[in-house]
Amino acid sequence: MFPIANNVRAEREARGMTQSELGAAIGLTRQTVAAIEQRHYSPSLEAAFRIARLFGTSVDALFHWEE
Amino acid sequence: MSFRYKSALLSLVSMAAIYAWYFTFLVIHFRTGHPFNPVSHLAGTILLLVFVQIGGHILIAGTSSDKYDAMDERERAFDRRATQVGYYVLIVGAFAAIATLHIGFNGPMVGDAVLFAVIFAECTRQAVFLIAHHRAG
Repeated sequence: MFPIANNVRAEREARGMTQSELGAAIGLTRQTVAAIEQRHYSPSLEAAFRIARLFGTSVDALFHWEE
Repeated sequence: MSFRYKSALLSLVSMAAIYAWYFTFLVIHFRTGHPFNPVSHLAGTILLLVFVQIGGHILIAGTSSDKYDAMDERERAFDRRATQVGYYVLIVGAFAAIATLHIGFNGPMVGDAVLFAVIFAECTRQAVFLIAHHRAG
């Protein structure tokens, strides 16, 4: 598991989006969105900014370091 | 399973199976001297692989819920890792193919050794891609 935790699932579900819809909106596959949510993959800085922009929030609010 | 995972699996299985048949036939020829036309044998193998790949990918695309799209950053990372490993396998295989000159291989046999190195490297690349994809969940 990667040390970067995130609130992507909560934010996505709050907006009633599916993983496929989120992936299509930011240029990722559904599998990659699932991997990010499960902390099996840390997205690139660009992808993190895309997600934050889509949700109208900051990268800091979405991602945080967790030992 | 994603479209690309199924695609890599199809490529690995079809290439391994079809070229295993090709090289088995080749070894039998060298051992028994059974006559055959190497050019048509290779051409037939390549054609068979092309048909299996095209047919298989049409089938996968028709049955997969994922639509085909360009690789995303995670899949590109898997691909980079797989290509890196495949490259080293290819280099070792190329040197091994050159070394066959010193154990009495003639021109066509060295060509087949090079072909084996290329096929083995490509199969390794596909296998590493699949393993990376599988491990990442």
